[in-house]
Amino acid sequence: MAATHDMNEKPAFYTIKKADFGKFFESLTRKYKVFAPVEAGDEHNFRQVKTVSEMKLGNYVNVEFPPKKFLHPNGLLMMEFAGSRVRQRAKTGKIALFGVRPCDTHALDVLDRVMTDGYVDAYYKKARGSTLILALNCKSAGDECFCGSMGTDKAIGFDLLFTETGNGFHVEVGSEKGHSLVNNKLFRKTGSPAAKAKLVFRKQINTENLEEVMRSSFSSEFWDETAKRCLSCASCTSVCPTCYCFDVHHDAEPSEKGIEKVNISRTWNYCMLQPFTRVAGGEVTRESRTERVKQFFYHKLLYGKENQGKLHCVGCGRCIRECMTKIDITEEAAKARSEYESKK
Amino acid sequence: MRAKNDFEPKIAEITAVKKECSDIYTFSCRLRNKKDKIEFQPGQFVEVAVFGVGEVPISISSSPLEKHNFDVTVKKAGSVTEALFKMKKGGLIGIRGPYGNWYPMDSFKGRNIVVVAGGVGIAPLSPVVEHIIAHRQEYGKVWLLYGTHCPENAIFNARMNRWSKNGIESIATVTKTCDMKWNGEVGHVEPMFEKHGIKADVAICCGPPRMLKDIYVEFNKMGIKDGDIYFSLERMMQCGIGKCGHCNIGRKYVCMDGPVFRKDELNELTEKIWK
Repeated sequence: MAATHDMNEKPAFYTIKKADFGKFFESLTRKYKVFAPVEAGDEHNFRQVKTVSEMKLGNYVNVEFPPKKFLHPNGLLMMEFAGSRVRQRAKTGKIALFGVRPCDTHALDVLDRVMTDGYVDAYYKKARGSTLILALNCKSAGDECFCGSMGTDKAIGFDLLFTETGNGFHVEVGSEKGHSLVNNKLFRKTGSPAAKAKLVFRKQINTENLEEVMRSSFSSEFWDETAKRCLSCASCTSVCPTCYCFDVHHDAEPSEKGIEKVNISRTWNYCMLQPFTRVAGGEVTRESRTERVKQFFYHKLLYGKENQGKLHCVGCGRCIRECMTKIDITEEAAKARSEYESKK
Repeated sequence: MRAKNDFEPKIAEITAVKKECSDIYTFSCRLRNKKDKIEFQPGQFVEVAVFGVGEVPISISSSPLEKHNFDVTVKKAGSVTEALFKMKKGGLIGIRGPYGNWYPMDSFKGRNIVVVAGGVGIAPLSPVVEHIIAHRQEYGKVWLLYGTHCPENAIFNARMNRWSKNGIESIATVTKTCDMKWNGEVGHVEPMFEKHGIKADVAICCGPPRMLKDIYVEFNKMGIKDGDIYFSLERMMQCGIGKCGHCNIGRKYVCMDGPVFRKDELNELTEKIWK
């Protein structure tokens, strides 16, 4: 969506020196709220930065919380109802996200498909249209990363794609907006694509006929064993870059003269939590933890492909890292495959 | 012009409140803006907002021939419906929709149909019956089988009488009479097929999950194929437009792919509607 790069056009490559990058960064902050990875404790997260020195990459692998929070914010105020009228209240400012990893550009592609195919989610679409994606290639793979096996290690849908070089960055332009950003003296045109770092992955999912594998193992007993380890804490779903489920809330706010104003907002909600499927009257359709664990893994490894033509797992490894009981999506996928093979 | 936003409700005024029984009311509504219309097909639902409390998916229970006024028949079952029950004539609610798919009424032409409703499940099936009556010659024999717990919960008596007079064999049954006067049948819906000689080609059903499971056995006995059995399902459809994720059954969204599902479609899903 944001990227309107014409695929027939040859990619445009540029370089920028370290010293000039700081100037570019400052020019960006004049037009956009710029968010970049800042190291804090053991994690990196997107923080608003004013100068390049505030960005702290260190041994940056990826941000703990993915970019979805900028496009589909948790707690978004959508509308208000007052005086028998509904008014739109969502505020969208121009933002730039620097340091979006290739896997997360694929996650944005998934969200684009979910949120704008069929009915269009107007809030998401507006936020997406005013967000600049400045992707950054990886120098090394994290312990839990497996994008190499998911086909999500090559960034897509970016405005600019940066690759760290010894003395600055190589820059690939991916959209019209991206073109306008490099059209200045700070960037020098180059003919060659970036030298890509060779990434070594410790984890992988075999995606060959994965749909068939997943379908055939839905009733397998190993899911019960996985569910016994699950704490239903929903950490996996909260850090997943493609999880988008939400609740809509109405909050009545008494105002002067006693006329009620109602704020209508939405917050993220998670299929791993038991009340997620509760209907009026109290019945819960996914009462057992096994059913909920399966909903998460099947959404990531099957339903997304069936519905949006793309797996909803992009191999970022966040769910593995956050899980307190070490449930690992790559291991679950491997179990499903071994069940499938044993049935053959 | 402002971009279309599917989350923004239209304002509707409650024009009448009818108590069907202690926990089921029918709210007649009119859209405030005269340019707004509700054109719906039998089986579709709307998201009803009680401002300050929340939104709930509710099937339209009035005739699909009406375009500006519509009814929703609601069972008091949660915080939003409890708040709705406190509202009076003149109150303002929010309406989004209609959403979801519908019963393919054209494909039922010339066939014998049994419509089975359990409890408040009669509400979404009411537009189906109204459609058939409006095009009565186009359909074969039609039975309406309606089951509730007590005579007190048996709603739509006047509609049932009218439907009976208009070529729908309408049978109401209660599981117990609860010491009340009752002219209908007593017992579960399943034995009524044999008792009333129901021989249908197509089955349409809306009711609690356990009833769907039990009634499916009867449909099988009657020889109705899974491709001719239609269930209207209930899930927590919060957004109604395939985004919020609450109503998934396997890969399907009840709000978009349903609420009406053919049994053979459900057979293909990883998740099952009953255990």
